[in-house]
Amino acid sequence: MSKSEPRLPLTPAVFHILLALFGEERHGYDIMQQVRADSEDAVKMGPGTLYGSLDRMIEVGLVAKGNTRDPRRIYYRLTALGQATLRAETERLSRVARVARRQLGTA
Amino acid sequence: MTSPARPKQSRSLRLYARLLELYPPSFLQRHRAEMLQNFADLEEVAESKAKLWLLMGKDLAMSLMSHFLGSRLGHYVIAVLVTWMLIFAIGYFFYGPTPGRPALHAFAGFLPGMLAMYFATRLYGTPPNSISHFFRSRFDISVIGVFVAWILLFVIGCYFYDPTRGHPALQVFGGALLGMLAMYIATHVYGMP
Repeated sequence: MSKSEPRLPLTPAVFHILLALFGEERHGYDIMQQVRADSEDAVKMGPGTLYGSLDRMIEVGLVAKGNTRDPRRIYYRLTALGQATLRAETERLSRVARVARRQLGTA
Repeated sequence: MTSPARPKQSRSLRLYARLLELYPPSFLQRHRAEMLQNFADLEEVAESKAKLWLLMGKDLAMSLMSHFLGSRLGHYVIAVLVTWMLIFAIGYFFYGPTPGRPALHAFAGFLPGMLAMYFATRLYGTPPNSISHFFRSRFDISVIGVFVAWILLFVIGCYFYDPTRGHPALQVFGGALLGMLAMYIATHVYGMP
């Protein structure tokens, strides 16, 4: 994946992690709690899934590590590409939701 | 001078630390401390141990599977399973179902055999190639332990219930041996993820 443009669609885990990190640096446990809150308990992420996703997101440039010394509490933050990807995915989901509402007659 | 007292670790945390050994070493090098801290945090606020372990069990299974399937060893295992299923399907199509379904029994042993060898290799290290080193490590002892347990179960079953027609237990045992051998070779050729 190119490091300069968003690649969509995102998996639910990646979308929720990006959302949790928007506007704030967070450590792993904080991300898990925020994801749980944002999804109203629908997405319960464990450490294995979280760090596996974070590794891949760092690799493609969506997320970066913050400046922390404690290895138990490493902070992560969104990159510019991460923010652009989050906005693009949110826009894509909105379009899909609009079409679905129109089809279902609930618009 | 007395050293500072280390906080006492719960039994759950010690078990989780042991289970973490199933992840690739490079992944653990980056995240082990964070994952242990997260587990301790989750344990502190968990409503019950059962709910905590339900989440952890699902998380371990999903993330380990993802690591495994993304590795060269994972691709090899998928290829082996697909080949096995193809052979099974071709045999079924041309010759019809064999009485007693020995292929199915062997496959039922093959899968746990591969899995057992994978976990043994991950937990106790890849065994050295030289046969002279065999029987000396925890890995070899665990493999021998599995064999002995299998043979004991088989003998007890035969002794108390007489041999079952078609010897399905023997077919499962043969399948497990094949599975262990296949994984043993694979870990040497492709390395652990």
